[in-house]
Amino acid sequence: MYYIISKIELEGTDNLKYSDYGTTTDIEIVNQINEDYDSTLGAFLGENRTKIELGLVSVSTFFESTPFVYEARTQVDNVEGLEVLNITNLNEL
Amino acid sequence: MAVAIKGNVVNANPTPGANFYQFTHNQNTGDDGLLVIQLTMSNVRSYTGCNYGGQSMTQLYTVNRGGLSQRMAFFYLENPPTGNNTLRVNFNNSVWNPISIHSRSFTGSGGIGNNVRVGGQSTPNNGSLTVADDSLIMATACSINAISTIQIPQGSNRSFATHNTNRQVGTGAISSDSGHNAGSISIRTTSTFGSVTNDRVEILGSSAPVVDTGGDFFMLM
Repeated sequence: MYYIISKIELEGTDNLKYSDYGTTTDIEIVNQINEDYDSTLGAFLGENRTKIELGLVSVSTFFESTPFVYEARTQVDNVEGLEVLNITNLNEL
Repeated sequence: MAVAIKGNVVNANPTPGANFYQFTHNQNTGDDGLLVIQLTMSNVRSYTGCNYGGQSMTQLYTVNRGGLSQRMAFFYLENPPTGNNTLRVNFNNSVWNPISIHSRSFTGSGGIGNNVRVGGQSTPNNGSLTVADDSLIMATACSINAISTIQIPQGSNRSFATHNTNRQVGTGAISSDSGHNAGSISIRTTSTFGSVTNDRVEILGSSAPVVDTGGDFFMLM
């Protein structure tokens, strides 16, 4: 099983943009990426979800201090033909 | 008849943060292809469609589970383009809750058969689905509490992906490769506590092959 490492950036003023950055089979890398996500963008969305839906808060606020984050919560069983990096070390991100 | 051949799978649990979410799915090469996608997310938003490789997918169902504040859906596409293509899920507005996504390819499939959807009932949620010979069954479950098992048929635990949509989702459970004999098949979903849903869909096997006797026919005059 492979994990897709997604790079998440701000798209326009109020949307998220996902792009495939790499793949890994290393569950320790996956867990570290997702812990980092949960403590940054994940925490921001958790605290502000309803306000964002109502237009009272913009997700752009988060990206004022952080240009992008990674998340690895997509599992696939075939990466043939995907033109992405094979990540074996967190320093490659 | 022959059981459909299971192909590539994608399981994802992102927060779209836009009025669509898209990802790459690799459809296997082979005759009688089928692509399915199971979705669960907050009912604050609605699904407005899915497409794969630019082709519109057919909505089998979308159901609002008001008690769980979730909206669950199933889309499919027969004879999809093969290889890596973009599968795009569209919404009626930007989605800021996590979504559960499971997509799976098949080859040698006769398409979608019967389906039954049952909302939250106290665990265990037992149901059945009447299927044709050599069919597979896919099932998904949602609960406030963790999904414990999805059994197809009852008594046979099948693996599933666990997703968090601010509710707990078990998705992608499917029958063993040998499929089922025609008849009523029992399906059980369980959660650690409380109520759990039980949605199931039949994946048809391929049509019986044309019997070729291999002989030419001559008429002697």
